[in-house]
Amino acid sequence: MAGPAFTVEQYRRRQRLWNALESRYVVHLVLFLAVFFIVSPLIWQLVTSFKTQQAVLDLTYLPAEPTLAAYERALIDRGFWRAVVNSVLIASASTVIVMILGTPAGYVFSRFRFPFDNAVFVFVLFTRLFPPIGLVTPYYRIVTTFGLLNTKTGIVIANVYLWLPLVIYIMRNFFITIPQALDEAARVDGCTKVQAFRYVVFPVVLPGFAAGTILTFLYSWREFLFAFTVSTDLNSMTIPVATFLFVGDAGIDWAAMAAAAIVAVIPSALVVIFFQRYIVVGLTGGLKG
Amino acid sequence: MSDTDHPTTNAAASTVDEERVLSLQLDGITKEYTEDDGSTVVAVDDVSLDVYEGEFIVLVGPSGCGKTTTLRIVAGLEQPTYGSLRIDGEDVAGREPRERDIAMVFQNYALYPHKTVRGNIAFPLKIRKYPDDEIEQRVQDTADLLGIGELLDRHPADLSGGQQQRVALGRAIVRDPAVFLFDEPLSNLDAKLRIQMRTELNKLHDRVGRTSVYVTHDQVEAMTLSDRVVVMNNGSVQQVAPPKTVYQRPANRFVAGFIGEPPMNFFPVTTAPEGDRLRVDADGFSLVVPPAVADTVAAWDGDTERLDLGLRPEAFEDAALVERELADGETFSAHVAVVEPMGPNTDLALRPIDRADDEAAEFTARVANETDAAPGETITLAVETKEIHLFDPRTGENLLA
Repeated sequence: MAGPAFTVEQYRRRQRLWNALESRYVVHLVLFLAVFFIVSPLIWQLVTSFKTQQAVLDLTYLPAEPTLAAYERALIDRGFWRAVVNSVLIASASTVIVMILGTPAGYVFSRFRFPFDNAVFVFVLFTRLFPPIGLVTPYYRIVTTFGLLNTKTGIVIANVYLWLPLVIYIMRNFFITIPQALDEAARVDGCTKVQAFRYVVFPVVLPGFAAGTILTFLYSWREFLFAFTVSTDLNSMTIPVATFLFVGDAGIDWAAMAAAAIVAVIPSALVVIFFQRYIVVGLTGGLKG
Repeated sequence: MSDTDHPTTNAAASTVDEERVLSLQLDGITKEYTEDDGSTVVAVDDVSLDVYEGEFIVLVGPSGCGKTTTLRIVAGLEQPTYGSLRIDGEDVAGREPRERDIAMVFQNYALYPHKTVRGNIAFPLKIRKYPDDEIEQRVQDTADLLGIGELLDRHPADLSGGQQQRVALGRAIVRDPAVFLFDEPLSNLDAKLRIQMRTELNKLHDRVGRTSVYVTHDQVEAMTLSDRVVVMNNGSVQQVAPPKTVYQRPANRFVAGFIGEPPMNFFPVTTAPEGDRLRVDADGFSLVVPPAVADTVAAWDGDTERLDLGLRPEAFEDAALVERELADGETFSAHVAVVEPMGPNTDLALRPIDRADDEAAEFTARVANETDAAPGETITLAVETKEIHLFDPRTGENLLA
């Protein structure tokens, strides 16, 4: 295009504009707004969980006398501490099963050619492409048929269905970044194929494996739809479901609900804080180097 | 002509010959792949090769010629479609790499990034459950041999390319296998380091003295490292011979064109007897070649009237710099297009005298650096007629090999 060239004056004016936009005040303002939108509901919830029921209804900002009574009502009186235990058990079991199945599957898809290998892989991904809600009704029927309604097993199976394709995909991408010559060197050096995986490939993919594990745990922990479908029973329901059950009450105990929600968030927050390096690796799909 | 023709050396060589033990036998190795569209690609086509104990064999050829696939078949990383393979006399068909008593150095080194240098070198011994003190001793000896004793506790990521290369070598030699396999081990190094490592590989082979099969696309590596060169093209073996023979008597036109830098010049020619000599007429010049060559051509079973003439750039000289008397059939004139001084000698891009504007007719001559040749001028060339090559234009076979 033969448009008129910028004059030096125009160029400088634009340059000043960009410099102003890029200044740290502007950058910090944008960051502040972003963080505010993300964090303020959490803060509001945290603050609410320390209030008395009266303070909530009075629409106060900060609790006049902070109290842990709401936590006691949610966890002890209603027995939702059991939902926390359920959540830990379900998320852990789901994660172990998904990683045990997904890691070798990802390895196979990254290394071996077999009939219809691409078709099988696309099919695995395809199962995650339509909205899970479409499967809730048939899943409910299946769970009922096998007597798994209101059981932890029923929720674990749902989690495996939901997160296994994702982990196969993530792990396959990690394995692809590891040169095949590494497996081959190990086999020439004296390993069987299984030993090559055990002693060379797996240790190299370990950061990726950690990322997959953490993501699966987080996703299983926060899963709501299938957990709610399978169980609203104290023996097996998860903490996100327990939190939601407050909604059905006549005269909602907002403080207790906020307390339950905070309890639901804490493990995730801890995992994110301590393992953020692996989460970034897992979401961006790259081992270092 | 040279020291190698000395009678005593020959006698010594032949006694060694009788004692030579076969280390590796490839017999009719063929590898076919089925493409996604169902068609079959022949990557390795009926390769047969005997490698003797302690020999350094280099497989060389352009990319896609099947040399790496051949090596991987020897390693057991690929299975041949047909053919048999013996290592130390034993048929190894269907055996895993770990059951073949081989070691391999990979192009990208394939060091284990999560292990230290010590862990890398020790790994082949550890997985085979050698006793700890022997592992310790062998790793130390290997590291000393390669001059990497200082690096044992570092990780591969902290090493330079040359150091990584040495560790990869160490991991291969620590177990003292029957056969070493090298898959383009120097191609990831920069030019200077490559030459240095080449020399070191040569020394290492002299010391370790194990059977080695080395794959490269670099003809200089092939010439300098090998006892015998295997030139491959399109999956099949073109010639198996010591490096000098491959250079001086290439079996066919492909080998002639592939080995040698700058590459050999080819001219379509007609031939006719001239007394006891042979007259060779190309488009733009004529040569008269000695009786020995004429006899060989006369004995050739086939049409010798139309042939392809091959002249290496080194077979030319600036006639002005030749001291001896030059006969008529040994010289011709050419148009100088480009002059490239290389230091010890000068490369000339030349065109036949009557086709000074035809870039397609260009050929290369390597002459002494004292030449006065200048672009746009004419030069009289002297040709070493003993060093000519004549190829059957249909089969590419070298009549004089």
